[in-house]
Formats: sequence, structure tokens, C-alpha cells
Amino acid sequence: MRIAVDAMGGDHAPKAIIEGVMLAQEDFPELEFLLFGKETEIKKYLKNEKNIRIVHTDEKIESDDEPVKAIRRKKNASMVLAALAVKNGEADAVFSAGNTGALLAAGLFIIGRIKNIERPGLMTTMPTLKGAKSGFDFMDMGANADSKPEHLLQYGILGSFYAEKVRGIQEPRVALLNNGTEASKGSELTKKAYELLTVEPKIHFIGNIEARELLNGEADVVVTDGFTGNAVLKSIEGTALSLMGILKTSIMDAGIKGKIGALLLKDSLQGLKSQMDYSAHGGAVLFGIKAPVIKTHGSTGPEAVRYTIRQIHTMLESNIIEDLVTQFETESGTKNQ
Amino acid sequence: MTRDEISQKVGNIVIKHFDIDSDKVTDQVRIKEDLDADSISVMEFVLELEDEFGTEISDEDAEKIETVGAAVDYIEKHQNN
Repeated sequence: MRIAVDAMGGDHAPKAIIEGVMLAQEDFPELEFLLFGKETEIKKYLKNEKNIRIVHTDEKIESDDEPVKAIRRKKNASMVLAALAVKNGEADAVFSAGNTGALLAAGLFIIGRIKNIERPGLMTTMPTLKGAKSGFDFMDMGANADSKPEHLLQYGILGSFYAEKVRGIQEPRVALLNNGTEASKGSELTKKAYELLTVEPKIHFIGNIEARELLNGEADVVVTDGFTGNAVLKSIEGTALSLMGILKTSIMDAGIKGKIGALLLKDSLQGLKSQMDYSAHGGAVLFGIKAPVIKTHGSTGPEAVRYTIRQIHTMLESNIIEDLVTQFETESGTKNQ
Repeated sequence: MTRDEISQKVGNIVIKHFDIDSDKVTDQVRIKEDLDADSISVMEFVLELEDEFGTEISDEDAEKIETVGAAVDYIEKHQNN
């Protein structure tokens, strides 16, 4: 297994990326890495070069570069070269913490879609309140703002595959994000998607789910269009951050009694924090591409990189992409016309 | 490469990429309207043309390629550049 790493993508690159690769090497000594970026910068953080090859390039895609133009014009950018390595069979997966749009474009236009998958989507595993290892696979988080009902059906199949093969869930429960649980609720898009999901034999569709129930662990896979998915993801993140902020301010303003109370609750609060830390599940997968294309947060640290590489390892080991290719290329039933 | 050779190759890409029958491919076929291609599909098609003919098609020029015939014309005109 060989992973192509965009060593220059992200706010703390290449330091956080390379340190994360070093941590992942401890977990999976057999993994090979192709590191794309400035050799002198990368070498500063390399502890050893076992199973590692550096491909030097000075060019990189900036966070504010226009995605499609960037991958077409910056042909020697670290992200572009990493995607080309996968296209040319020199690596099995690509990992980046850089410009999300550019990585989507690199996945779509350099590596390419699995045949009959209409629109690859971004999927992440979100935590739930049902325990540290619980979570649900949420797709699409924003790759496609406009979706057709058939796309949501395909997200359901893709998410179900991921939940089963990568997270080991038997018969994953697939739900459709909607503004009510009844089948008649929602927009034209969700009503039509509901009909398609209901009759799809490859998945266990449990119906609609409302946004307020997402973190309660009632579904293993939740599908929605990219616009809604992105808005919901950011609402959850924003609400969590605001609540933590209010909690902190309340403690600091509560004087000595509040601080002692917080000290007594410290372990519980730490437990809560780690339970809700979604980086432990890895990064976001651009799912529907002919190889794993994984994005982790731009501000990511070495531990999150380690988790994401573990996720890539699991994906490669499970042969999920090969199974999806077989599933979608040999069957026309999921094809959108 | 002659125009006929280019036309044949472009036709093969159109058949494969848009999954249509060979007898439906003519110069007059409109890529967005007749082949129901959205922006992603059009971009993939343009990149496949670049790979096949080893020519670079700028974003501005890509926008002007509205029919299969226009794609053939473009390749013919730029094949030695």
C-alpha cells in the first residue's frame, strides 16, 4: 500500500503533515509514502526515511486559489502531482489538508469518477452521543450544491458500503435528512429521493431523519444534498464551539466556586471532548472516485493526520473501492439517466 | 492528422464519455443540450480531448466549444501548436 501525500497542503504544512506521517508509520510500518513538496522543508521533520520517497516540487496550491484553474495551471503543484501519482498507478490513495475545492477538482478531473457514479460526494463520519466509537456517515457535505434525487440514492449506497466495509457495521441504517419524518414531507428533491431510497434493495433505508436527531445515533448513514449538508455540518460545529465558549466564560466568571466545580468535572469534560472529536474518525472522503481521496482539516495537527492515514489504511485493506467499481460498473440499476 | 481522423477520435471519446450510440454522433450535436452535460461533465470531456490530442485547451476556448463539430475544428486548428 502506498499513499501519495500532499505535504504542502494545510495551515501547518509541512510540519504537521510529516509529523503525522511519522506517527502513522509507527502504527503501520509496512505502509509506503510518496511525499510531494519542498524536499528541504520536508526533511526537517522526517525522523527516518524508511518506506518514504520525497518527490520535490516548489509549486503548491494556495487556500484561496480557484480550484479548477489551479489544478489546470499549476501542473507541478504538490497536490496535482500526488493525484497524478494515483492516476498513473504509482500510489493507491491521495491525502491532503489543502484547498478542499482543488482536491475535489483533482479527484474528479485527474483521478476520475467510478463509471456510473454521477456525482462523487464528500463524506465524513460525525460523532454521536452513543459512545466514543459511535458515529454516522454524512454525505454530501458540500461537493455538489445542487443534487438530483438519483445522486442522493447513490450517496445512500456509497455511505452504506463505507459504514459496512470500513466501520464494520452490519446492515447499516440509512436515513434521509428532511424537515419531518413522514414520507410526504420535504422538497421535491427529498420526496423523490425518499421514493428511490425506499425501493433500493442494496441498502437498509429507515426513512427520514430530522436535523435535531442527527447526534442521537438513530442512523448509521445520513444523506442529503451538498448545500444542506454543508450548512448542517457548520451549524453543528458552530453550536458546539459557541456552547463550549459560553461554558468557559461562565466558569471563569463564576469565581472560586465555579472554578472548583470545573476542576471536579475536568475528567468528565475531557471525556466529552474526546467523544465529540470527529477527527478520531479520520478525514472527509471524496467518495465515488477511482481511488481513496481524503481531505483533512486545514488547521489539522499530527494526531488528526495519523487518524486519517489509519482511515486510508482501513479503506485500502477493505478493498472498498474495488467493490464499488464492481457494483457500479457492472450494474446499470443505479445509473442516472 | 486529417479532419476525418480527428473526427473519428473525437467521436469515440463522445460515445464513451456520454454513453451514446455511435449513429447519434454528428458534428451538429450540442454538448450541453443534446448530451445533457453539466459543467463537470463538460470539463471531463475537455480534459479527455487534451489527453488524447496532447493539446491544451484554455478555459476561455473550452467555453466556446458548444458542439462536437466545434471540438473537431478546434483540435484541427491547434494540432500543431
